[in-house]
Order: sequence, then structure tokens, then C-alpha cells
Amino acid sequence: MSPVIPVGPYHPALEEPYKIELDCDGEAVREAHITVGFNFRAIEWLAERKNYTQDLALVERVCGICSNVHTLTFSRALEQLAGVEVPARAQHIRVVVHEAERLHSHLLWAGIAAEVIGFQTLFMTCFALREKVMDLLEAVSGNRVNYAMNKPGGVTRDIVDPGMVAATAQAIRTAMEREIIPVFTTDRTVRARCAGVGVLTRDEALAWGALGPVARASGLPQDIRKAAPYEIYDRLDFEVPVRPEGDVLARIVVRALEIVESCRIIEQAVDGMPAGPIDAGDFIPVPAGEACARIEGPRGEVFYYVASDGSDVPLRVRIRTPTFQNMPTVALMVREQTLADVPLIQASIDPCYSCTDR
Amino acid sequence: MTVGRALFQLLVFPGLLYAVPVAWLMLWMERKLTARLQGRIGPPFYQPFFDFVKLLAKRPLPRPPLQALAMSALPVLAVAGTLGALALLPVFPHSGGFTGDLVLLVALLEIPPLCAVLAGFVSRSIYGELGATREAVLSIAYSLPFLAALVALAAAANSLSLSVISQQAMWQVRLPALLALALCLPVKLRVNPFSVANAEQEIYAGATTEFEGPRLALWELAHGLEWVALTGLWAVLAFPAANAAWPLRAVVFVAISLALVLVLAAVAAATARLKLAQAARVYWLWGSALGVLAMVVAVVWP
Repeated sequence: MSPVIPVGPYHPALEEPYKIELDCDGEAVREAHITVGFNFRAIEWLAERKNYTQDLALVERVCGICSNVHTLTFSRALEQLAGVEVPARAQHIRVVVHEAERLHSHLLWAGIAAEVIGFQTLFMTCFALREKVMDLLEAVSGNRVNYAMNKPGGVTRDIVDPGMVAATAQAIRTAMEREIIPVFTTDRTVRARCAGVGVLTRDEALAWGALGPVARASGLPQDIRKAAPYEIYDRLDFEVPVRPEGDVLARIVVRALEIVESCRIIEQAVDGMPAGPIDAGDFIPVPAGEACARIEGPRGEVFYYVASDGSDVPLRVRIRTPTFQNMPTVALMVREQTLADVPLIQASIDPCYSCTDR
Repeated sequence: MTVGRALFQLLVFPGLLYAVPVAWLMLWMERKLTARLQGRIGPPFYQPFFDFVKLLAKRPLPRPPLQALAMSALPVLAVAGTLGALALLPVFPHSGGFTGDLVLLVALLEIPPLCAVLAGFVSRSIYGELGATREAVLSIAYSLPFLAALVALAAAANSLSLSVISQQAMWQVRLPALLALALCLPVKLRVNPFSVANAEQEIYAGATTEFEGPRLALWELAHGLEWVALTGLWAVLAFPAANAAWPLRAVVFVAISLALVLVLAAVAAATARLKLAQAARVYWLWGSALGVLAMVVAVVWP
């Protein structure tokens, strides 16, 4: 048997094109090599050739799942440059959409995790619940994928029916606690596949710079929403779930608890939503200078650097997505595991290669 | 067993004429029930038949002569072996069978997995080879409980004839033996939680990854026939009423087979896929325990 087994660039377990080459000894993995860059789209290059309004639509298309994160971070960088204060109502709306996006991203990921361990019924359950989140996002923004909600200085659309948003968040929280979390944490076949698999210790997570749920499942309590609160996060009451085990099950539990927390955040943000304007004016001039912004996306810290010379076209837009940081840990985690675990372990970092190949 | 009787069993019931439509029916039932349990609609009942016809109509890939021969012969052999096994099932125990047909049945039932292992290696695909290796490891694991259960039944009935076994084995042996056989069904049929040899998200379709068109159609048919043969074997062993009239026997045989398909599909829909080592452990531990229990009871409780 040939010792190198290719997983990807096109493989049933992968959502997006990238490649893991496995040096195998029978079913045991000795070494893994990861190749990315199959989907490079030159978004940073394009961003330096378009004006800020066009760039907003451009960065929204970096990712098909966490599109809102990109416009939010980009808008925050521009607001920092322009010194604009975002109205309170807009901040609440931003948090609602931001957390709803985290909900649908985590539910999508939970479905994929179920799929790669061959549990298609659980996949269907997760995606049925995710559909409720998508309906919520569509009701709020008019769109299912690229919401076009953020702009420098505020948001583009008001939430006209806050009661519906809160009720949906509550319904999702109930369904999550009753249907999905029990299956993931107590089902024997799921536990057999996830517990003790793909362990990333706290020290390794720290040394390799893991971010987001991957770091939190390895016992690192890091979350930008707590560490450097933006929008209204400093005024909200929520927990950051942390697990010390560092295995795939811990990553599942962390994300599942984050879904519950996100629902609570949405309920609070809707409850305390003040009246008032939803933006700081139609046009925000961007002066010369440079700014960084970072927020906690569903997969971890999203970082933007924007440099401006005062014209309407940025000098430089630099995007760093969390998968870029988390991806190398996969090679660490799959070592000495079996071939059957590789699809699950690579999925457990919630990889987003279209973001990485921006 | 007369020649006419043998031909009837091979070609009509429970052989070709019965088994092929029921194979498609069982494949459909499995897909449909899974879909309904998952909140989907599922395919219409003729879908497996259409799949078969569509695959048959495709032009096979040109391959080197020996490989083409092997890749065509192996699924044919798997279909033939399963049909032969089906013909031996003692649905009407008074009018068929011969001493030692149990041994032949066991041998014929082992042909499809063996062909699958060979097919995986012959196709020269890394995923086919991995699937074949998994299939081989699993067949070693499940053979112990499977054979132990059948040997226990034979010992209990003091005969190697299937019809005698199906009538005369005592229930204290029959029960653990049936449980052991039921435990072996999901892995032999490659459904969850033991769908290890064809784990799509890991190794595509496993041994049959490189098969296409008519060759794949034959594999699908062999797979469907395996459903009929294995659930049928379980059904004849689970319904020993010797005095029942033949229409009743036939109806009960079909009913138990189809009910078993539904149970297996429901279990498959409610579980994740285990890993190779975990699946093998289930058979070495729990399967063997049941098989050994049946054997011990058969020996010490005559």
C-alpha cells in the first residue's frame, strides 16, 4: 500500500478545497502536510483598487459563512480612522446580527461534524435548526448569506420587530438545550468518536497561537468580546465557555455552549435596544492614517489593518482570518490518530479556507 | 432435493424472481425510512431499480484486459454467490435441503465480502485498498460470532442440514444465536454504526470506489441481494413453526425480513459511525460473548 493518502483538494469530508497529505502506517497517521491556496481570489489586491463603499461589498464576500464579521471589522477600522461614534441603536443591531451569524456558523459546523462521523440524522437536525437562524437573518437583513448590514458609522437597516428576534433566539436556545446538546454529549457512538480524539494541550494551543473555540476548548480563556470589548459587549451579561480537555468533544461542547450564550446575548441586546438613529450619516470621509480592528468571529479573532492616504481608495487592506492561525494545529492534532479520525479532527477547528485564501 | 425443486428455489423463490425485486424494495425501504426519520421526503419506491438501469446503460471505462476481466467477474461472482445462498434458505423445510447445506450456505455468504476485498485491491485505488483492508479486518471480526452462532445451532439440532436446524434447535440456544446473528447484520450490510468499510467521509466508497457503470450496478445488486439473503436467513431461523401451511410460511418469512430491514435502518439512522478498531472490538467482545454463550448452552443443555 502506498504510504501517502491524500485527503483533498476534493474529498467528501471537506467543504472547501484544500489538501491534507497523510503519511500513514496502515490506519495510523504518522505525519500530515497541509496545502492551502486552491481558492485564492486576490481580495486584498482588489481592495486597494476600489473605493471604500465598493470595498465594503468586497470584504463581505471573503467568507460565505461569516460575511458579517468582515464588514463589521472593516467598518470598525474605518470608524477608528474617521473618529466616528456609532449610535447606540446601531451598536445593538450590530450585536444581534453578529451573534445570529455566530449561531448559524456554529450550527453549520455542528452539522458538518455530525456528517463526518457518519451521523446524518444529527446533521439534518442541526441544519433544520440552522434554517431558523437563517430565516431570522433574512427577516432582519433581507438576505440569507451576505447581509449587507454594516456600514462605517452604523447599520443599513433597522430591526422593525424586536419581539420576533427575541422569541426566535429563545426558541433556538430551547431546541439547542433539549435536542442537540444532549445527543452530542451523551450519545455513545458520538462519544466514542469524539472523546479523547485530536487532543491539543493548553501549552500547544498557546505555542501555536490557536484562536477562538479551538483555544477555549484547550483551556485558554481568550475571547475578544471579553478581552477588548467592542460595541456593547462590556454591558452584556454572558459567559465564555472554556473546557480544559482539548479534544474534539471539548470543541463541540464549547461551541454548543457558545450557541446558548449567543441566544442570551441576542435576547439582552434586543431587550435593551434604545430608540434613536441607526447611522452617523450617509457619508463618512476617511482621513489619512492607519487603523487596526479585531473582533471575535465565530472561528476566533478576525483582524483588519487599513491604511489610508485620505483618498477614497485605501492604501492597504490586510485581512487575517482565524483559520490561518488554527490551520497548523491540525497537523499537530492528527499525529498518532487513526485515518478515520482525520476528517473529524480537521473539521473540529471549523476551517474556513475561502477566508484563508482570501 | 430434486433438480426441479433446486431450480425452483434458485430461480423463483426465494431465488432470482423473488430476490431481485425484493432487493430493490429493501434498498428503497432503508433509504425511505432513513429519510423520513431525518425529516426528508426520500426517494420513490422504484428508485433503486432506476439507479440499476441507469448504471447498466453507462459505457464501462476502458481498462487493461486482466483488470477489466477481474473487475467484471468479481461483482458477477458476488451476485451468483448470494443467489446460491438464497436458494439454500429452508423457507419450506419439508421439501428441500440436504445434509451439509449449512456449510455451503456459510461458504456462499462469505463470497461477497471476499469479492469486495479482491475488488478493492484489483481496482488499484488507494481508497479501494483501504476499503478492502477494512472489509477484511471486519470480516475476521464478525466471522467469529457469526460462525459460532451457526455452529451452536447445528450442535443444538445435532445436524448440518439447514431445514433440520431451523425446526429443531432449542430456544435457549436459538435466542443468543439469533442475537449474535442480528449483531452481525449491520457490519455485513455495511450500515451504521458499522459502515466502516464504505465510510464515505473517510475513504469514498471503499472497495468499490473505482467501479463504474454496469460493474457498479452489479455491486449494487449484490448488495441488495445480501440484504435479502441475510435478513432471510435470520427470518427462517426465527420462525420455526413446522406445521404452518406454505403460504403462511412464505408470508411470515417476507414479513420478518422486511421488519428486520426497518429495524436495521432505524438503528443506522440513530447512530454515528464507529472506527475500525471500535467496531472490531464490539464483535470480538459482545459478538463472541453471545456466540460462545449459545455454544455453551448447546453443549451443556442437550
